[in-house]
Amino acid sequence: MIDFSLSPQQQIVREVAHQIAQTVLRPGSLQWDQQHRIPDEVLLQLSMLRGGFTQGEVPEEVGGEGEGVGAVPDRRHRSQANRIAVLGAEELAWGDASVLLSLPGPGLGGPPVRSMGTPEQRRRFFSVFQQPGLHYGAYALTEPGAGSDVAGIQTRCRKQGRYYLLSGRKCYITNGARADWVVVFATVDPALGRAGHRAFVVERGTPGFSVGKIERKMGLRASETAELIFEEARVPEENLLGGEEYYRGKEGFVGAMQTFDSTRPMVAAVGLGIARAAWEAARDFVRDHYLLSRPLPRYAQLAAQLAQDRRLLDAARLLCWRAAWMADEGLPNSKEASMAKAYAARVALRICAHAVDILGAHGLQTSQLVEKWYRDIKVFDIFEGTGQIQRIVISRRILREPPSF
Amino acid sequence: MISFALDDDQRLLQDTVRRFCREVLREQMRRHEQQGGLLPEVEQAFAELGLIDLELDEGLPHRTAALVHEELAWGDPGAAVALWTPHLCAGALRELGTPEQQARLLARLRRGPDQRYGRGAVAYAEGGPGQGATVAVPTRGGYVLSGTKRFVLHAPQAELTIVFAQLDGGCQGMGAFAIAGRPAADPQGSFRLGQRHELLGLRAAPAGELVLQEHLVPEEDRLRGGDDFCAAARRVFARAQLLTAARQVGLARAAYELALSYTQDRRAFGKPVAHFQAVAFALAEVHMEVESARWLLWQAAAEADAGRLDLALCAGAAAHACEAAFCAADWCVQLLGGAGFMEDFPAEKWLREAKALALVGGTPQLYEQIVAAQVLGQDPEGNPEGAGLPSPRLQPFLT
Repeated sequence: MIDFSLSPQQQIVREVAHQIAQTVLRPGSLQWDQQHRIPDEVLLQLSMLRGGFTQGEVPEEVGGEGEGVGAVPDRRHRSQANRIAVLGAEELAWGDASVLLSLPGPGLGGPPVRSMGTPEQRRRFFSVFQQPGLHYGAYALTEPGAGSDVAGIQTRCRKQGRYYLLSGRKCYITNGARADWVVVFATVDPALGRAGHRAFVVERGTPGFSVGKIERKMGLRASETAELIFEEARVPEENLLGGEEYYRGKEGFVGAMQTFDSTRPMVAAVGLGIARAAWEAARDFVRDHYLLSRPLPRYAQLAAQLAQDRRLLDAARLLCWRAAWMADEGLPNSKEASMAKAYAARVALRICAHAVDILGAHGLQTSQLVEKWYRDIKVFDIFEGTGQIQRIVISRRILREPPSF
Repeated sequence: MISFALDDDQRLLQDTVRRFCREVLREQMRRHEQQGGLLPEVEQAFAELGLIDLELDEGLPHRTAALVHEELAWGDPGAAVALWTPHLCAGALRELGTPEQQARLLARLRRGPDQRYGRGAVAYAEGGPGQGATVAVPTRGGYVLSGTKRFVLHAPQAELTIVFAQLDGGCQGMGAFAIAGRPAADPQGSFRLGQRHELLGLRAAPAGELVLQEHLVPEEDRLRGGDDFCAAARRVFARAQLLTAARQVGLARAAYELALSYTQDRRAFGKPVAHFQAVAFALAEVHMEVESARWLLWQAAAEADAGRLDLALCAGAAAHACEAAFCAADWCVQLLGGAGFMEDFPAEKWLREAKALALVGGTPQLYEQIVAAQVLGQDPEGNPEGAGLPSPRLQPFLT
């Protein structure tokens, strides 16, 4: 049944997330951005959100929350985890997007450990999140010389006794410096391409593994982005995700890419949360501003632009919902996930730019959130696959498959 | 619960209509366009599907209508308009008429002894700048209507026409009147056909002017729209927007599919042109527009089915679908290159018709105004009462 109303669980998640965004995240947002960090107390307080709103949660088998509220089946007896994730992400990002990237938990490292890891590995690596304090996982794929072209990574792994020795550099790793462990992709031989890829869980304190510089960025400043350095880092063989068996006949690359089918719609929704916040600010400015709220020609143009942006926001949100719904239904959704990400990023960039236009000089003040949102939003067309990469994914799928509708 | 799943009945209906479109509408597309009307056997075959009876009996649910009209327009946008004999009349009567009026007037649209359905028309647009509005003057037992209505789809064969005319008071002075029976061809008739329009697209559906010369409409045929004519009239236009959106999505999908298959067959510089990134990215872009337009339409339709017809959602869906259709049809012509310009392919027809559909029942600019009115809580034209309705200044631009 075609339906766009929210189930009781979806409704609750959206309301709770909005409350938190409004009362906790919005008020702190500017300050955290200026300080380039979020206070630990805030993060500890927010760690209880895990399981409601974030992907990569801690599985139930190790005492975690699993899919949390998302595990409650819908009327079609399907999980709601993906739909709940996009709904929650949009609301929280409406408050502050950096916080969303800084929520304690396995983060992007969660999905590969869950899908590729052995039961023993899952128990080992996820149990850390059951201990008190702030604990993070991270995901390290990008290198100085390999971004979009993931297959071209140069970080090498070489077996020596019961260890693998990793050498290379990873960059732009979210939560990389504070992570308890990082899922690191390396290659046994760059000439093998994707077939040579291996995924390791590298724990903090591993000899030869160190943190390089912490990046200073245009936006999402309160979120930590680190460079990771591997100098013959000694990683125990038990930390090869899935064990040697996993890579016989399989491609490590597939594991790296599977992560994105569930995370792209969520990242898209985060971008939409920021865009919605910017759009609302622009709308309020137009509505409340004395000079603009008169029927002048300029007003008509602004009104039409706000109307157009609202509709694009709705359209992008529905693409996110579509991709998330397909994931919940167990349908392959790479194309839809890329469509959600590509479209939402484009729309969100445009809306944030319009908000700055509409606020004029006010929109340039660093004391205004609109200025911050304008800086924050750019990366949404870059991380988790650039807009161009999404279009490559989409066009490959549509050229290979018969029209899908 | 967020769900994009069709139920079994909808899937079956979609398949049935799709087959009819592939086997009949696509085959006769150029013929229908050239002769400015449908072949009787095509009308007959469509009647067999029983969709018009459903529409007349209880009205197709909005989501079902969205699926059906997307498919029909995928087959041929012009024929889709021509085939849908109730046009907006059945929906308008449901919003504006009393149960007695509905029962009496809807009978005009039912299948006659010749097995053909009566055509409905809605006359809204005025005769153009300087000609003034169509007026309705109260008189004993009814109203006297005078004026010229333009761009009336189905006008030449209409068995039932709903005419909007200016009265004193009411919603921006507007009233609606039902006129039963065909307009006279006789130049002396008080309700007669004016000039037939030669259109850019949608030529399979005849459209023309209607002239009212002191035409008397009895009191019982004034459609008062229940307690709130203004709100009821807005719902009529919202329904029209859903219909436009569905047709534009169908047209957009047709154009996208042709571009997708043509560019994979056509080779240049040693490979299919679709394998060049400039072409592949354009296809990806069009695909996103088409899909997002469909989901916006579905959302607006689902809300309407749940009893929450949202004017801004409907208008937003229509605006987005118009944009998607134009984008898809334009890229389709472009990616076919010279072939896109020729009548051998339907690309050029779709480009003309995407524009035509964006002018029927409202324009994207009007749709944006409706959304803006909701967004800002007031009408941009400064008329709080008329928020969401076309202002008198805009009426000449509507059909």
